[in-house]
Amino acid sequence: MSGMLDGKVAVVTGAGRGIGRGVALALAAAGAKVVVNDYGVDIHGNVPSDAPANEVVNEIKKAGGEATSNGDSVADWNAAEHIIQTAVKEFGRIDILVTCAGILRDRMVFNMSEDDFDSVLGVHLKGTFNCMRHACVLMRQQKYGRIITFSSGSGLFGNPGQANYGSAKAAISGLTKVAARDLGKYGITVNSIAPVAATRMTLTPEFLKAREIRKQQGIIREERALAQLEDLKPEDVAPVVVFLASDHATNVNGQFFLCAGGSVSLLSQPRAVKTIFKADSAWTLDELDEVVPLTLAEGLVNPAPPRE
Amino acid sequence: MGDRLKDRVAVVTGAGRGIGRGIALLLAHEGAAVVVNDLGGAVDGSGSSSTPADEVVTTIKNAGGRAIANADSVAEFGAAENIINTAVKEFGRIDILINVAGILRDRMIFNLSEDDWDAVVKVHLKGTFNCVRHASAHMRQQKFGRIVNFTSTSGLYGNSGQANYGAAKDGIAGLTRVVSRDLGKYGVTVNAIAPVAATRMTATVSDQARETRAKRGISAGAPASRMRMEPEDIAPMVVYLTTDGAKHINGQTFLVRGGVISLLNYPAPARTITKLGRWSADEIAAIFPSTFGMDLANPAPRQD
Repeated sequence: MSGMLDGKVAVVTGAGRGIGRGVALALAAAGAKVVVNDYGVDIHGNVPSDAPANEVVNEIKKAGGEATSNGDSVADWNAAEHIIQTAVKEFGRIDILVTCAGILRDRMVFNMSEDDFDSVLGVHLKGTFNCMRHACVLMRQQKYGRIITFSSGSGLFGNPGQANYGSAKAAISGLTKVAARDLGKYGITVNSIAPVAATRMTLTPEFLKAREIRKQQGIIREERALAQLEDLKPEDVAPVVVFLASDHATNVNGQFFLCAGGSVSLLSQPRAVKTIFKADSAWTLDELDEVVPLTLAEGLVNPAPPRE
Repeated sequence: MGDRLKDRVAVVTGAGRGIGRGIALLLAHEGAAVVVNDLGGAVDGSGSSSTPADEVVTTIKNAGGRAIANADSVAEFGAAENIINTAVKEFGRIDILINVAGILRDRMIFNLSEDDWDAVVKVHLKGTFNCVRHASAHMRQQKFGRIVNFTSTSGLYGNSGQANYGAAKDGIAGLTRVVSRDLGKYGVTVNAIAPVAATRMTATVSDQARETRAKRGISAGAPASRMRMEPEDIAPMVVYLTTDGAKHINGQTFLVRGGVISLLNYPAPARTITKLGRWSADEIAAIFPSTFGMDLANPAPRQD
């Protein structure tokens, strides 16, 4: 045990499997008492079960740690309050909130149903807000808190077929940036992880099939990093989360980290890469016709060019 | 009148006032037939009125353009379909979709109610999705389309007191990036604008809040007298993105303020640490100050 989080109390949502499980185990190993929250559903959000959360609690206890399980859904405002209250009731406070809970329902946007959009946003975005909102009231009172959200390369870079998931994950990044500014002065930090790991959400039959087709077409080669997704373990993400939850990271706030196996990157914040300006008036269309291709649009690549 | 958009049909949501109104007028001026959509509610989303949309339609028609008003709410999946179908029924097709509709309910996150969260996310993010979803089915079939969404510096940089708005607007940025990849191969482009302009939405920031921020060195927008912030100034870049000249611009975000237009970056690794195998938290704590920590400043440091 490193003891980096001795005496702290943590809530980890979606902690029954994959990345969330790795985070819960690592927080407990570092000395934190952990509420292991998992609604226990399949990756599309169906068929709840207590079993995954209970198994992780048993694992933590066997290793000498302290943990309790919770099976509430983050997507419900009141149930989320109950998750946070479980930490207070069982362990007396809440210092650390890690929001991993999420589901997937991939579809091209022109085929996406309203329910597929709402369900994915309800769990990821509303779920993250719900838990954060209830936890931050307590963290503000005690003038201490660590919140780590989960964003995704899908929203930051744009993955086709994930209008719901990419929107939700990008919205979590916006929520993280605003919350960091709302809460920083109360001794709370809010940061985000964009993870890349082999879990039941990424190593799907569809992914494996698409990868096989790409290999056959020569679009990806065997030695490319993408081809070794299996080597990126969900547990690899946890050490960065433990660090961000610790006193070593007191002034790390509003930041985004891309975590893939042993590779950890700090992501750039939005900034202007090229600017055109006129001092005293707006641009006209005639001017833009002439100037934009030589300036703002010069070198831009269409990520999905038209097929003639 | 120009003719860049002759025979094109456009839908502009939130087109009754401010930035949306300016876009609708310029699209019509370039020859597009425009569905002027506006629920006509207050800044916080309460109430409704068909007057703002009707007035813009009248302005367009008086100038010799083609337009029709629509007062459906973008926030409802079925109503959004009706907005898109209005273009198809009245003008035969839909080529251009501009998603401007939005509301504001600012609160610090620890005081933000569930209803304030839901209402803002529903109009901005769900509303943008709803319209994109219904329009994209038509655009894919006709193998042509131009979609411009509205994101915000609030989500890109993080504005205190706007957890709902900032999340919704960054969500729209994510939606834009995904959908540009879903639709690009069908001849559809999807881009986003982060506007800065003086409208009734920015007027909700109180003078007191501006003063407090200025004292702390936090920007709340410079005084209007010193910086050009006309809502009409946003329109030219939006309309440019709908023209044939912009057919290769896809999945990008532009910041527009007066005569200043910037292309924004995609997020990318700024610094990377790598090892074979898993880092430990202790190792990260040891290496952090001399690697990632070199670049970082806390945007809201603890006040003791």
